[in-house]
Amino acid sequence: MSTVVIDTCAGQEGGREALAAAAIASLDLDVQIVVVGDEGMITSTLQGIAHDAERLRVVHACDELPEDVNVRAAPPRSSVAVGLELTARDPDAIFISAGPPGSIVSLALHTLGRLPSVPRAALAAVYPTLRHRGPNDDPFALLLDVGATIECRSEHLVCFAAMGAAYAAKISGVERPRVGLLANGSVSSATPTRVREAHARLRDRDLPFEYIGLMRGDQVTHGDADVIVTDGFSGDVLVRTLEGVAATADALIRRAEERFQWRLGVQMLGGGIAKLREFTDWENYGGAPLLGVDRPVIVTQSNSGRRAFVNAIRLGAKMQRLGVIEAVAAGAAAVAEEPEL
Amino acid sequence: MSGEWMGSGHLLHLRWDLDKTYLRTEFDSMKDLIKTYRQKAEDKVAVSGARALLQALLDPHERRTRRVTFVSGSPTQMRAVLTRKLRLDGIEPDVFILKPNLNNIIAGRFRSIRGQVGYKLAALMRTYVEAVHLDELLFGDDAEQDAFIYSLYADILAGRVDAVQLASILAACKLYRQEVDEVMALHGRLYNSGDAVRRIFIHLEARSPIDRFAPYGARVVPIYNYLQAALVLHQGEVLRARDIVTVLEAMSQAGYTPERLSNSVQDLVRRGVVQVADVERLAAELGAVETTRGRTVSTFIRRLRTTVADLEHVRRASPEWLEEINYLGLYHSARFRRTRHRFFGIPLLD
Repeated sequence: MSTVVIDTCAGQEGGREALAAAAIASLDLDVQIVVVGDEGMITSTLQGIAHDAERLRVVHACDELPEDVNVRAAPPRSSVAVGLELTARDPDAIFISAGPPGSIVSLALHTLGRLPSVPRAALAAVYPTLRHRGPNDDPFALLLDVGATIECRSEHLVCFAAMGAAYAAKISGVERPRVGLLANGSVSSATPTRVREAHARLRDRDLPFEYIGLMRGDQVTHGDADVIVTDGFSGDVLVRTLEGVAATADALIRRAEERFQWRLGVQMLGGGIAKLREFTDWENYGGAPLLGVDRPVIVTQSNSGRRAFVNAIRLGAKMQRLGVIEAVAAGAAAVAEEPEL
Repeated sequence: MSGEWMGSGHLLHLRWDLDKTYLRTEFDSMKDLIKTYRQKAEDKVAVSGARALLQALLDPHERRTRRVTFVSGSPTQMRAVLTRKLRLDGIEPDVFILKPNLNNIIAGRFRSIRGQVGYKLAALMRTYVEAVHLDELLFGDDAEQDAFIYSLYADILAGRVDAVQLASILAACKLYRQEVDEVMALHGRLYNSGDAVRRIFIHLEARSPIDRFAPYGARVVPIYNYLQAALVLHQGEVLRARDIVTVLEAMSQAGYTPERLSNSVQDLVRRGVVQVADVERLAAELGAVETTRGRTVSTFIRRLRTTVADLEHVRRASPEWLEEINYLGLYHSARFRRTRHRFFGIPLLD
């Protein structure tokens, strides 16, 4: 049985939403939950919500964790530090947090360690696409890295491609995931050196996935690729731009509802708009798994509500059940074994 | 009202509900009801640890000062199968009361078929045992109104609910005239007989939020499992460390992992029902008990120490004993929750 370690010092309502998700998971899922945070707040909140105390353990830790903290300077009793320590001790554990991503990545690498053959870890976000994939008909593609490794070399991008493909193969059940390299055009000569080199390495090699070459930003949402590989800087900019566009579209619809003449039209399109909102709602997709570390670590957005946390718990349990970490390690090893790397 | 436990030589009267308290029963749908009705005694399963706990409480050495009464909402037609089930578990109740539902149907008392207040309160009062020194422990669940009925019974005995108050509560509960007359007559006999109810354990079968039982005060102890009840009783010196081991082993055999068991202890510590120091003392006592399943106990102790170490800073005040309980308010809020659930589908747990 998986053990889900949840940081309850971050997320909506000062972590209470994370706690509510933990309570739901303790009742509905076959997992052991460890909630890490301010014990006083946790106990008083839990008294008012249905939960299964047999499946829920509380660990007190509430030092504040600053953003992008240096590992040596990190407070030892922060919920992230304590949670990762607990995760490191249990081979079946999963860690979930809505804390500062930079600090989580550095503390996770320090505490859990990198998988062999993985030079850099990557945060993988999912984004909804027009094309669905796999036996589950998953409506999203995997985009990595979205912020864990800002400066990348070509071999890092190759490793990201292998890790992303292994993840997608397990989670979405796609036999040979289609992997694309994000670029500013389809001609490699116009791309930065690291992308050009990575493109050459991926193109000239036998891979357990299908490398479809360079792809532009506008192709991301079409769903041409199951996995889109980029460096942490571009990935973070891309994913936030896409989220911003979705939020702006939503705001425009709300504005249209304020005008009497348009209200009727918006009402008639209500079902479709609701579906669109559901489709682009990031809370439905849980959080971003950190690939390349020795345990499932899922980073959710800082304003995550209980739905996002519950979905992150489900995702973490699925990663554990399907042996995603082992698959990612094997994928990374397969590309690292090549002599030219 | 006080948190005092029983003294030696007192008569200990145990009151148990059956379905969802002692037995694992499903009766959320008509299909479940039919299945339960047709089930053989051999197929009925006790809630993990319930049998071990009850057997420990009915220790043969103490049996002459112990008395057990079962008051169940199951129909009288199930007496044979339920008696057989208890006998298979090695339990001989002194009194076993079942609900006369067929009589209720024939007499047209349809509200009494689902309602529990009139039936259970009268049954508890009828089976009250007069003794110079009497202590009572009551066991129920959160699926029905056990905390409400048991607390009302305890406060009648303690002289905290007089006839006027009781009449208005029974009126709000919409009891039939015959039921009201019986309860009021029994009230006249038992009012102010003595503050005998020591604890009311409510098995959280439906996993209701703990806060829902706070208005009843510290006398009502919501429990997720019977290890928690055993620990509270050990703290009150009703059970010995080896009884805890028996309950522990029974639950372990039923599939409880050391994590789940130690998490339940941690829950009691966080709620202030037991203190960290009590748990440390218990761990030492358990370690000294000889058992054939030493590994189960030692793994539990190890896990318990780790889990409690997470909370070594916690010094939580014990829940308060309440002098006055607003029964009418509690009844109406429970009714509101049920109505909301029935008409708007809002989960009962929210």
